[in-house]
Amino acid sequence: MMNEMIVTDNLGKQYQDLVALDALSLQIPPGEIFGLLGPNGAGKTTTIKILTTLARPSRGTARIHDFDVVRQPLAVKKLIGVCPQEINLDRELTAFENLWIYGRLHRMPDLPARIAELLEFGNLQERAHSLVREFSGGMQRRLLILRALVSRPRVLFLDEPTVGLDPQVRRQLWNLIQELKLSGITIILTTHYIEEAEMLCDRVGILNRGRLIALDTPGALVAKVGGYVVETLNSGRRQYLLVRDKEEAYARAQTEPTGVIIRQANLEDVFIQLTGERLTN
Amino acid sequence: MNWFPIFYREILLFRRRLLRLGYVVSALFSPLLYLLAFGLGLGKRVAMSGGTYLDYLLPGLIAMTSMTNSYTWIATSMTVGRLHFRTFQVYIQAPVTAADIVVGQILAGMVRGLFASVILLVLGLFLGTGFHLNLMFLLVLVLNCLVFAAFGVIVGMKSRSHEDTATFTNFFIMPMAFFCGTFFPVDEMPWLLRDIIKVLPLTHTNRLLRFPFWNLESLESLALLSAYGVVCLVLGIIIIRRYSE
Repeated sequence: MMNEMIVTDNLGKQYQDLVALDALSLQIPPGEIFGLLGPNGAGKTTTIKILTTLARPSRGTARIHDFDVVRQPLAVKKLIGVCPQEINLDRELTAFENLWIYGRLHRMPDLPARIAELLEFGNLQERAHSLVREFSGGMQRRLLILRALVSRPRVLFLDEPTVGLDPQVRRQLWNLIQELKLSGITIILTTHYIEEAEMLCDRVGILNRGRLIALDTPGALVAKVGGYVVETLNSGRRQYLLVRDKEEAYARAQTEPTGVIIRQANLEDVFIQLTGERLTN
Repeated sequence: MNWFPIFYREILLFRRRLLRLGYVVSALFSPLLYLLAFGLGLGKRVAMSGGTYLDYLLPGLIAMTSMTNSYTWIATSMTVGRLHFRTFQVYIQAPVTAADIVVGQILAGMVRGLFASVILLVLGLFLGTGFHLNLMFLLVLVLNCLVFAAFGVIVGMKSRSHEDTATFTNFFIMPMAFFCGTFFPVDEMPWLLRDIIKVLPLTHTNRLLRFPFWNLESLESLALLSAYGVVCLVLGIIIIRRYSE
Protein backbone atom coordinates (compact mmCIF):
# COMPACT_ATOMS: atom_id res chain seq x y z
CA MET A 1 0.00 0.00 0.00
CA MET A 2 2.73 2.48 0.95
CA ASN A 3 4.44 1.94 -2.43
CA GLU A 4 1.51 3.56 -4.20
CA MET A 5 1.11 7.32 -4.27
CA ILE A 6 -2.65 7.19 -4.78
CA VAL A 7 -5.01 4.40 -3.80
CA THR A 8 -8.77 4.51 -4.18
CA ASP A 9 -11.02 1.68 -3.08
CA ASN A 10 -14.62 1.36 -4.21
CA LEU A 11 -14.81 5.15 -4.42
CA GLY A 12 -18.24 6.54 -5.28
CA LYS A 13 -20.07 9.85 -5.43
CA GLN A 14 -23.79 10.31 -5.79
CA TYR A 15 -25.72 13.56 -6.29
CA GLN A 16 -29.34 12.73 -5.42
CA ASP A 17 -30.36 10.34 -8.23
CA LEU A 18 -27.21 10.84 -10.29
CA VAL A 19 -24.30 8.46 -9.79
CA ALA A 20 -21.32 10.63 -10.77
CA LEU A 21 -18.70 8.05 -9.79
CA ASP A 22 -19.23 4.36 -9.14
CA ALA A 23 -16.86 1.95 -7.38
CA LEU A 24 -13.56 3.39 -8.60
CA SER A 25 -10.58 1.35 -7.44
CA LEU A 26 -7.15 2.54 -8.55
CA GLN A 27 -3.51 2.28 -7.55
CA ILE A 28 -1.15 4.89 -8.96
CA PRO A 29 2.59 4.59 -8.27
CA PRO A 30 4.84 7.62 -7.66
CA GLY A 31 6.21 9.36 -10.75
CA GLU A 32 3.48 8.15 -13.09
CA ILE A 33 1.45 10.33 -15.42
CA PHE A 34 -1.97 8.78 -15.07
CA GLY A 35 -4.70 9.84 -17.45
CA LEU A 36 -8.41 9.75 -16.79
CA LEU A 37 -10.08 9.67 -20.17
CA GLY A 38 -13.76 9.97 -20.84
CA PRO A 39 -16.50 12.12 -22.33
CA ASN A 40 -18.11 15.02 -20.47
CA GLY A 41 -19.98 13.76 -17.41
CA ALA A 42 -17.93 10.55 -17.19
CA GLY A 43 -16.77 11.24 -13.63
CA LYS A 44 -13.26 12.60 -14.29
CA THR A 45 -13.70 15.94 -12.52
CA THR A 46 -15.63 14.28 -9.69
CA THR A 47 -12.65 11.98 -9.12
CA ILE A 48 -10.30 14.96 -9.04
CA LYS A 49 -12.60 16.84 -6.67
CA ILE A 50 -12.63 13.94 -4.22
CA LEU A 51 -8.87 13.40 -4.41
CA THR A 52 -8.21 17.11 -3.85
CA THR A 53 -10.64 17.30 -0.86
CA LEU A 54 -13.13 19.53 -2.65
CA ALA A 55 -15.87 16.90 -2.57
CA ARG A 56 -16.59 14.18 -0.03
CA PRO A 57 -17.15 10.71 -1.43
CA SER A 58 -20.52 9.04 -0.85
CA ARG A 59 -18.77 5.71 -0.35
CA GLY A 60 -15.34 4.11 -0.48
CA THR A 61 -11.95 5.53 0.44
CA ALA A 62 -9.16 7.47 -1.21
CA ARG A 63 -5.64 7.85 0.11
CA ILE A 64 -2.74 9.97 -1.08
CA HIS A 65 0.67 8.92 0.20
CA ASP A 66 -1.29 6.89 2.75
CA PHE A 67 -3.25 9.89 4.05
CA ASP A 68 -7.02 9.57 3.90
CA VAL A 69 -8.58 12.43 1.92
CA VAL A 70 -11.60 12.66 4.23
CA ARG A 71 -10.02 12.07 7.64
CA GLN A 72 -6.61 13.73 7.04
CA PRO A 73 -7.39 16.52 4.55
CA LEU A 74 -4.69 18.94 5.77
CA ALA A 75 -1.95 16.31 5.30
CA VAL A 76 -3.28 15.58 1.81
CA LYS A 77 -3.44 19.27 0.88
CA LYS A 78 0.22 19.70 1.76
CA LEU A 79 1.13 17.09 -0.86
CA ILE A 80 -0.97 18.21 -3.79
CA GLY A 81 -1.07 20.92 -6.41
CA VAL A 82 -4.29 21.51 -8.32
CA CYS A 83 -4.78 22.96 -11.76
CA PRO A 84 -8.57 23.05 -12.20
CA GLN A 85 -10.52 22.97 -15.42
CA GLU A 86 -11.69 26.56 -15.06
CA ILE A 87 -9.11 29.33 -14.85
CA ASN A 88 -9.61 30.45 -11.25
CA LEU A 89 -6.74 32.92 -11.06
CA ASP A 90 -7.39 36.37 -9.62
CA ARG A 91 -7.66 38.39 -12.80
CA GLU A 92 -7.32 41.71 -10.98
CA LEU A 93 -4.00 40.67 -9.44
CA THR A 94 -0.61 40.27 -11.09
CA ALA A 95 1.02 36.93 -11.92
CA PHE A 96 3.46 37.46 -9.05
CA GLU A 97 0.68 38.27 -6.57
CA ASN A 98 -1.30 35.18 -7.61
CA LEU A 99 1.73 32.93 -7.05
CA TRP A 100 2.70 34.71 -3.83
CA ILE A 101 -0.73 34.26 -2.22
CA TYR A 102 -0.83 30.59 -3.20
CA GLY A 103 2.69 30.11 -1.82
CA ARG A 104 1.73 31.76 1.46
CA LEU A 105 -1.34 29.53 1.75
CA HIS A 106 1.12 26.62 1.59
CA ARG A 107 3.57 28.36 3.99
CA MET A 108 6.36 28.13 1.42
CA PRO A 109 9.72 29.58 2.49
CA ASP A 110 11.80 31.84 0.23
CA LEU A 111 8.85 32.62 -2.00
CA PRO A 112 10.30 35.35 -4.26
CA ALA A 113 13.08 33.02 -5.44
CA ARG A 114 10.62 30.14 -6.00
CA ILE A 115 8.27 32.42 -7.94
CA ALA A 116 11.11 33.76 -10.10
CA GLU A 117 12.22 30.18 -10.84
CA LEU A 118 8.69 29.13 -11.83
CA LEU A 119 8.00 32.18 -13.98
CA GLU A 120 11.21 31.44 -15.86
CA PHE A 121 10.22 27.79 -16.25
CA GLY A 122 6.87 28.86 -17.67
CA ASN A 123 8.47 31.60 -19.78
CA LEU A 124 6.40 34.30 -18.06
CA GLN A 125 9.18 36.14 -16.24
CA GLU A 126 8.65 39.33 -18.23
CA ARG A 127 4.95 39.41 -17.30
CA ALA A 128 5.47 38.87 -13.57
CA HIS A 129 3.95 42.22 -12.65
CA SER A 130 1.24 42.38 -15.29
CA LEU A 131 -2.40 41.89 -14.34
CA VAL A 132 -3.65 38.43 -15.21
CA ARG A 133 -6.66 39.87 -17.07
CA GLU A 134 -4.20 41.16 -19.67
CA PHE A 135 -2.88 37.62 -20.36
CA SER A 136 -3.89 35.46 -23.33
CA GLY A 137 -5.75 32.20 -22.65
CA GLY A 138 -2.57 30.17 -23.14
CA MET A 139 -0.59 32.34 -20.73
CA GLN A 140 -3.32 32.06 -18.12
CA ARG A 141 -3.28 28.26 -18.45
CA ARG A 142 0.50 28.24 -18.04
CA LEU A 143 0.24 30.45 -14.98
CA LEU A 144 -2.43 28.13 -13.56
CA ILE A 145 -0.03 25.18 -13.84
CA LEU A 146 2.81 27.24 -12.36
CA ARG A 147 0.60 28.20 -9.43
CA ALA A 148 -0.06 24.52 -8.72
CA LEU A 149 3.71 23.97 -8.66
CA VAL A 150 4.58 26.73 -6.18
CA SER A 151 4.30 24.38 -3.20
CA ARG A 152 6.55 21.70 -4.80
CA PRO A 153 3.68 19.16 -4.74
CA ARG A 154 4.28 15.41 -4.77
CA VAL A 155 1.08 14.97 -6.77
CA LEU A 156 -0.13 17.35 -9.46
CA PHE A 157 -3.75 17.28 -10.61
CA LEU A 158 -4.37 18.66 -14.07
CA ASP A 159 -8.07 18.76 -14.89
CA GLU A 160 -8.49 19.24 -18.64
CA PRO A 161 -5.38 21.44 -18.77
CA THR A 162 -5.55 22.20 -22.49
CA VAL A 163 -9.29 22.54 -23.02
CA GLY A 164 -10.19 25.40 -25.33
CA LEU A 165 -6.61 26.11 -26.40
CA ASP A 166 -5.40 26.24 -29.98
CA PRO A 167 -3.16 23.35 -31.15
CA GLN A 168 0.09 25.33 -30.94
CA VAL A 169 -0.48 26.42 -27.33
CA ARG A 170 -1.65 22.90 -26.48
CA ARG A 171 1.67 21.51 -27.70
CA GLN A 172 3.57 24.07 -25.59
CA LEU A 173 1.69 22.87 -22.52
CA TRP A 174 2.37 19.22 -23.40
CA ASN A 175 6.09 20.04 -23.48
CA LEU A 176 5.75 21.70 -20.07
CA ILE A 177 4.00 18.61 -18.65
CA GLN A 178 6.63 16.29 -20.11
CA GLU A 179 9.36 18.40 -18.51
CA LEU A 180 7.53 18.08 -15.18
CA LYS A 181 7.53 14.32 -15.46
CA LEU A 182 11.33 14.38 -15.43
CA SER A 183 11.21 15.85 -11.92
CA GLY A 184 9.55 12.67 -10.61
CA ILE A 185 6.23 14.26 -9.75
CA THR A 186 3.08 12.11 -9.96
CA ILE A 187 0.58 13.64 -12.35
CA ILE A 188 -3.12 12.88 -12.62
CA LEU A 189 -4.46 14.30 -15.82
CA THR A 190 -8.03 14.31 -17.05
CA THR A 191 -8.73 14.85 -20.69
CA HIS A 192 -11.09 14.01 -23.48
CA TYR A 193 -8.41 14.58 -26.10
CA ILE A 194 -7.17 11.22 -27.42
CA GLU A 195 -3.86 12.59 -28.65
CA GLU A 196 -3.15 14.18 -25.28
CA ALA A 197 -3.72 10.96 -23.38
CA GLU A 198 -1.65 8.92 -25.83
CA MET A 199 1.24 11.36 -25.86
CA LEU A 200 1.52 12.15 -22.16
CA CYS A 201 0.18 9.27 -20.10
CA ASP A 202 2.01 6.21 -18.81
CA ARG A 203 -1.34 4.60 -18.05
CA VAL A 204 -4.88 5.53 -18.87
CA GLY A 205 -8.13 4.79 -17.07
CA ILE A 206 -11.20 5.12 -19.26
CA LEU A 207 -14.31 6.33 -17.47
CA ASN A 208 -17.82 6.18 -18.83
CA ARG A 209 -20.97 7.17 -16.90
CA GLY A 210 -19.04 7.10 -13.64
CA ARG A 211 -17.53 3.65 -14.10
CA LEU A 212 -13.96 2.66 -14.90
CA ILE A 213 -14.29 0.49 -17.99
CA ALA A 214 -10.63 0.01 -18.91
CA LEU A 215 -7.22 0.57 -17.35
CA ASP A 216 -3.80 0.00 -18.89
CA THR A 217 -1.04 1.67 -20.89
CA PRO A 218 -2.32 3.40 -24.04
CA GLY A 219 -0.44 0.87 -26.19
CA ALA A 220 -1.85 -2.14 -24.34
CA LEU A 221 -5.39 -0.77 -24.47
CA VAL A 222 -5.13 -0.27 -28.21
CA ALA A 223 -3.53 -3.70 -28.68
CA LYS A 224 -6.40 -5.36 -26.80
CA VAL A 225 -8.95 -4.18 -29.35
CA GLY A 226 -6.71 -4.67 -32.37
CA GLY A 227 -3.84 -2.64 -33.73
CA TYR A 228 -5.48 -1.35 -36.93
CA VAL A 229 -8.79 0.03 -38.08
CA VAL A 230 -10.41 -0.47 -41.45
CA GLU A 231 -12.87 2.34 -42.08
CA THR A 232 -15.42 1.76 -44.79
CA LEU A 233 -18.26 3.80 -46.21
CA ASN A 234 -21.44 1.75 -46.36
CA SER A 235 -24.67 3.39 -47.58
CA GLY A 236 -23.34 6.79 -46.55
CA ARG A 237 -22.41 5.61 -43.04
CA ARG A 238 -18.83 5.20 -41.89
CA GLN A 239 -18.13 1.84 -40.29
CA TYR A 240 -15.09 0.82 -38.27
CA LEU A 241 -13.56 -2.63 -38.18
CA LEU A 242 -10.78 -3.34 -35.69
CA VAL A 243 -8.20 -5.90 -36.87
CA ARG A 244 -5.07 -7.37 -35.31
CA ASP A 245 -2.38 -6.20 -37.79
CA LYS A 246 -1.66 -4.42 -41.05
CA GLU A 247 -1.82 -7.60 -43.15
CA GLU A 248 -5.30 -8.42 -41.91
CA ALA A 249 -6.31 -4.82 -42.58
CA TYR A 250 -5.12 -5.05 -46.21
CA ALA A 251 -6.90 -8.35 -46.65
CA ARG A 252 -10.16 -6.83 -45.39
CA ALA A 253 -9.69 -3.76 -47.58
CA GLN A 254 -9.47 -5.98 -50.66
CA THR A 255 -13.07 -7.04 -50.11
CA GLU A 256 -14.38 -3.48 -50.10
CA PRO A 257 -15.16 -1.87 -53.45
CA THR A 258 -14.23 1.74 -52.60
CA GLY A 259 -13.68 4.42 -49.92
CA VAL A 260 -11.54 2.35 -47.59
CA ILE A 261 -9.19 3.92 -45.04
CA ILE A 262 -6.63 1.89 -43.12
CA ARG A 263 -5.13 3.50 -40.02
CA GLN A 264 -3.61 2.59 -36.67
CA ALA A 265 -6.13 2.18 -33.86
CA ASN A 266 -6.23 4.74 -31.07
CA LEU A 267 -7.92 5.24 -27.71
CA GLU A 268 -11.02 6.57 -29.42
CA ASP A 269 -11.42 3.17 -31.08
CA VAL A 270 -10.97 1.51 -27.71
CA PHE A 271 -13.76 3.67 -26.32
CA ILE A 272 -16.05 2.90 -29.26
CA GLN A 273 -15.33 -0.81 -28.91
CA LEU A 274 -16.14 -0.73 -25.18
CA THR A 275 -19.19 1.51 -25.21
CA GLY A 276 -20.51 1.69 -28.75
CA GLU A 277 -20.27 5.50 -28.50
CA ARG A 278 -17.75 8.07 -29.66
CA LEU A 279 -15.54 9.73 -27.08
CA THR A 280 -15.46 13.09 -28.81
CA ASN A 281 -18.08 14.89 -30.86
CA MET B 1 -3.21 30.16 12.16
CA ASN B 2 -2.60 30.98 8.51
CA TRP B 3 -5.27 33.60 7.81
CA PHE B 4 -2.89 36.25 6.53
CA PRO B 5 -2.75 35.25 2.82
CA ILE B 6 -6.55 35.17 2.69
CA PHE B 7 -6.78 38.60 4.30
CA TYR B 8 -3.96 39.96 2.15
CA ARG B 9 -5.60 38.78 -1.09
CA GLU B 10 -8.82 40.59 -0.20
CA ILE B 11 -6.91 43.73 0.73
CA LEU B 12 -4.98 43.68 -2.56
CA LEU B 13 -8.27 43.43 -4.44
CA PHE B 14 -9.79 46.17 -2.27
CA ARG B 15 -6.81 48.47 -2.86
CA ARG B 16 -7.02 47.92 -6.61
CA ARG B 17 -10.74 48.72 -6.66
CA LEU B 18 -10.22 51.68 -4.37
CA LEU B 19 -8.14 53.36 -7.04
CA ARG B 20 -11.27 53.58 -9.13
CA LEU B 21 -13.10 56.63 -7.85
CA GLY B 22 -16.52 55.21 -8.62
CA TYR B 23 -15.96 52.51 -6.06
CA VAL B 24 -15.60 54.92 -3.12
CA VAL B 25 -18.64 56.85 -4.30
CA SER B 26 -20.74 53.68 -4.49
CA ALA B 27 -19.63 52.56 -1.02
CA LEU B 28 -20.71 55.86 0.50
CA PHE B 29 -23.58 56.72 -1.80
CA SER B 30 -26.47 55.59 0.44
CA PRO B 31 -25.27 57.12 3.72
CA LEU B 32 -24.41 60.39 1.99
CA LEU B 33 -27.84 60.43 0.35
CA TYR B 34 -29.53 59.93 3.72
CA LEU B 35 -27.27 62.51 5.31
CA LEU B 36 -28.20 65.07 2.68
CA ALA B 37 -31.91 64.21 2.50
CA PHE B 38 -32.69 63.80 6.19
CA GLY B 39 -29.73 65.21 8.04
CA LEU B 40 -29.22 68.46 6.23
CA GLY B 41 -32.89 68.71 5.21
CA LEU B 42 -34.37 68.36 8.68
CA GLY B 43 -31.00 69.23 10.14
CA LYS B 44 -31.09 71.66 12.95
CA ARG B 45 -34.86 72.32 12.82
CA VAL B 46 -35.84 69.05 14.46
CA ALA B 47 -34.69 68.32 18.00
CA MET B 48 -34.04 64.71 18.96
CA SER B 49 -32.76 63.28 22.25
CA GLY B 50 -31.67 66.68 23.45
CA GLY B 51 -29.70 67.60 20.32
CA THR B 52 -30.24 68.36 16.64
CA TYR B 53 -31.49 65.68 14.24
CA LEU B 54 -28.08 65.72 12.54
CA ASP B 55 -26.46 64.88 15.90
CA TYR B 56 -28.90 62.00 16.25
CA LEU B 57 -28.61 60.76 12.67
CA LEU B 58 -24.87 60.64 12.16
CA PRO B 59 -23.97 57.85 14.65
CA GLY B 60 -26.85 55.84 13.12
CA LEU B 61 -25.51 56.38 9.62
CA ILE B 62 -22.04 55.32 10.77
CA ALA B 63 -23.51 52.12 12.26
CA MET B 64 -25.47 51.46 9.08
CA THR B 65 -22.48 52.14 6.84
CA SER B 66 -20.20 49.87 8.84
CA MET B 67 -22.87 47.14 8.65
CA THR B 68 -23.56 47.33 4.92
CA ASN B 69 -19.94 47.72 3.83
CA SER B 70 -18.58 44.88 6.01
CA TYR B 71 -21.43 42.58 5.06
CA THR B 72 -21.74 43.34 1.35
CA TRP B 73 -18.05 42.99 0.58
CA ILE B 74 -17.77 39.55 2.12
CA ALA B 75 -21.16 38.15 1.10
CA THR B 76 -20.68 39.21 -2.51
CA SER B 77 -17.03 38.28 -2.87
CA MET B 78 -17.58 34.85 -1.34
CA THR B 79 -20.69 34.11 -3.39
CA VAL B 80 -19.09 35.20 -6.65
CA GLY B 81 -15.73 33.63 -5.77
CA ARG B 82 -17.37 30.32 -4.95
CA LEU B 83 -19.98 30.09 -7.70
CA HIS B 84 -18.60 32.11 -10.60
CA PHE B 85 -14.83 32.67 -10.48
CA ARG B 86 -14.20 29.59 -8.30
CA THR B 87 -11.35 31.36 -6.51
CA PHE B 88 -12.79 30.19 -3.17
CA GLN B 89 -11.97 26.59 -4.12
CA VAL B 90 -8.27 27.50 -3.96
CA TYR B 91 -8.65 27.98 -0.20
CA ILE B 92 -10.46 24.66 0.25
CA GLN B 93 -7.70 22.82 -1.62
CA ALA B 94 -4.90 24.58 0.31
CA PRO B 95 -3.59 23.45 3.72
CA VAL B 96 -5.48 26.08 5.68
CA THR B 97 -8.22 25.48 8.23
CA ALA B 98 -11.82 26.63 8.03
CA ALA B 99 -11.02 29.05 10.88
CA ASP B 100 -8.17 30.57 8.81
CA ILE B 101 -10.55 31.21 5.93
CA VAL B 102 -13.22 32.74 8.16
CA VAL B 103 -10.80 34.95 10.10
CA GLY B 104 -9.07 36.17 6.92
CA GLN B 105 -12.39 37.01 5.27
CA ILE B 106 -13.86 38.70 8.35
CA LEU B 107 -10.80 40.88 8.89
CA ALA B 108 -10.92 41.96 5.24
CA GLY B 109 -14.63 42.79 5.58
CA MET B 110 -13.91 44.77 8.72
CA VAL B 111 -11.26 46.84 6.94
CA ARG B 112 -13.77 47.76 4.29
CA GLY B 113 -16.47 48.57 6.83
CA LEU B 114 -14.10 50.69 8.90
CA PHE B 115 -12.81 52.49 5.82
CA ALA B 116 -16.29 53.70 4.85
CA SER B 117 -17.21 54.46 8.48
CA VAL B 118 -14.11 56.55 9.08
CA ILE B 119 -14.84 58.68 6.00
CA LEU B 120 -18.33 59.35 7.34
CA LEU B 121 -16.94 60.01 10.80
CA VAL B 122 -14.52 62.62 9.45
CA LEU B 123 -17.36 64.17 7.48
CA GLY B 124 -19.44 64.34 10.67
CA LEU B 125 -16.63 66.05 12.55
CA PHE B 126 -16.29 68.48 9.65
CA LEU B 127 -20.04 69.27 9.84
CA GLY B 128 -19.65 69.95 13.53
CA THR B 129 -21.88 67.10 14.61
CA GLY B 130 -21.61 66.44 18.33
CA PHE B 131 -21.00 62.78 18.98
CA HIS B 132 -18.91 61.11 21.63
CA LEU B 133 -15.77 59.82 19.95
CA ASN B 134 -14.05 57.72 22.59
CA LEU B 135 -12.52 54.27 23.02
CA MET B 136 -15.86 52.59 23.44
CA PHE B 137 -17.21 54.24 20.29
CA LEU B 138 -14.30 52.77 18.32
CA LEU B 139 -14.62 49.39 20.01
CA VAL B 140 -18.32 49.19 19.13
CA LEU B 141 -17.60 50.24 15.56
CA VAL B 142 -15.01 47.45 15.21
CA LEU B 143 -17.36 44.94 16.84
CA ASN B 144 -20.22 45.90 14.52
CA CYS B 145 -17.97 45.39 11.49
CA LEU B 146 -16.98 41.98 12.87
CA VAL B 147 -20.59 40.89 13.43
CA PHE B 148 -21.73 41.80 9.94
CA ALA B 149 -18.60 40.57 8.15
CA ALA B 150 -19.13 37.23 9.94
CA PHE B 151 -22.78 37.27 8.87
CA GLY B 152 -21.49 37.98 5.33
CA VAL B 153 -19.42 34.78 5.48
CA ILE B 154 -22.55 32.74 6.28
CA VAL B 155 -24.53 34.39 3.49
CA GLY B 156 -21.59 34.04 1.08
CA MET B 157 -21.40 30.32 1.80
CA LYS B 158 -25.13 29.62 1.79
CA SER B 159 -26.17 31.59 -1.30
CA ARG B 160 -26.86 29.40 -4.29
CA SER B 161 -26.84 32.36 -6.68
CA HIS B 162 -26.14 36.06 -6.75
CA GLU B 163 -29.90 36.60 -6.37
CA ASP B 164 -29.83 34.67 -3.09
CA THR B 165 -27.36 37.20 -1.68
CA ALA B 166 -29.74 40.01 -2.66
CA THR B 167 -32.59 38.14 -0.93
CA PHE B 168 -30.59 37.85 2.31
CA THR B 169 -29.81 41.56 2.04
CA ASN B 170 -33.46 42.47 1.49
CA PHE B 171 -34.75 40.34 4.36
CA PHE B 172 -32.07 40.96 7.00
CA ILE B 173 -29.88 43.95 6.22
CA MET B 174 -32.36 46.45 4.78
CA PRO B 175 -34.99 46.10 7.56
CA MET B 176 -32.24 46.49 10.16
CA ALA B 177 -30.97 49.62 8.43
CA PHE B 178 -34.41 51.24 8.67
CA PHE B 179 -35.92 49.90 11.90
CA CYS B 180 -33.04 49.54 14.35
CA GLY B 181 -32.83 53.16 15.39
CA THR B 182 -30.79 54.62 12.57
CA PHE B 183 -33.32 57.31 11.64
CA PHE B 184 -35.67 57.42 14.64
CA PRO B 185 -35.78 55.97 18.17
CA VAL B 186 -36.84 52.35 18.52
CA ASP B 187 -39.12 53.28 21.43
CA GLU B 188 -41.54 54.95 19.00
CA MET B 189 -42.27 51.65 17.22
CA PRO B 190 -45.36 49.51 17.99
CA TRP B 191 -44.67 47.16 20.96
CA LEU B 192 -44.53 43.87 19.00
CA LEU B 193 -42.12 45.25 16.45
CA ARG B 194 -40.14 46.95 19.23
CA ASP B 195 -39.54 43.64 21.01
CA ILE B 196 -38.19 42.07 17.83
CA ILE B 197 -36.07 45.11 17.02
CA LYS B 198 -34.55 45.13 20.49
CA VAL B 199 -32.81 41.78 19.93
CA LEU B 200 -31.31 42.77 16.57
CA PRO B 201 -27.60 43.66 16.60
CA LEU B 202 -27.80 47.01 14.84
CA THR B 203 -30.18 48.31 17.52
CA HIS B 204 -27.43 47.80 20.09
CA THR B 205 -24.75 49.28 17.88
CA ASN B 206 -26.89 52.39 17.41
CA ARG B 207 -27.53 52.61 21.15
CA LEU B 208 -23.84 52.24 21.98
CA LEU B 209 -22.59 54.66 19.33
CA ARG B 210 -25.02 57.32 20.60
CA PHE B 211 -24.14 56.70 24.22
CA PRO B 212 -20.66 55.12 24.32
CA PHE B 213 -20.23 55.03 28.08
CA TRP B 214 -19.81 52.18 30.54
CA ASN B 215 -23.02 51.29 32.36
CA LEU B 216 -25.12 48.17 32.81
CA GLU B 217 -27.21 48.76 29.69
CA SER B 218 -24.08 49.33 27.58
CA LEU B 219 -22.52 46.16 28.95
CA GLU B 220 -25.66 44.21 28.03
CA SER B 221 -25.55 45.61 24.51
CA LEU B 222 -21.84 44.85 24.20
CA ALA B 223 -22.41 41.29 25.43
CA LEU B 224 -25.22 40.76 22.93
CA LEU B 225 -23.15 42.14 20.05
CA SER B 226 -20.22 39.94 21.05
CA ALA B 227 -22.52 36.92 21.22
CA TYR B 228 -23.77 37.66 17.69
CA GLY B 229 -20.14 37.90 16.54
CA VAL B 230 -19.14 34.60 18.16
CA VAL B 231 -22.22 32.74 16.87
CA CYS B 232 -21.74 33.98 13.30
CA LEU B 233 -18.01 33.22 13.42
CA VAL B 234 -18.54 29.67 14.71
CA LEU B 235 -21.35 29.04 12.21
CA GLY B 236 -19.09 30.25 9.39
CA ILE B 237 -16.35 27.86 10.48
CA ILE B 238 -18.78 24.92 10.68
CA ILE B 239 -20.23 25.67 7.23
CA ILE B 240 -16.78 25.88 5.61
CA ARG B 241 -15.55 22.78 7.42
CA ARG B 242 -18.51 20.84 5.98
CA TYR B 243 -18.10 22.27 2.49
CA SER B 244 -18.34 19.66 -0.23
CA GLU B 245 -19.20 19.99 -3.91
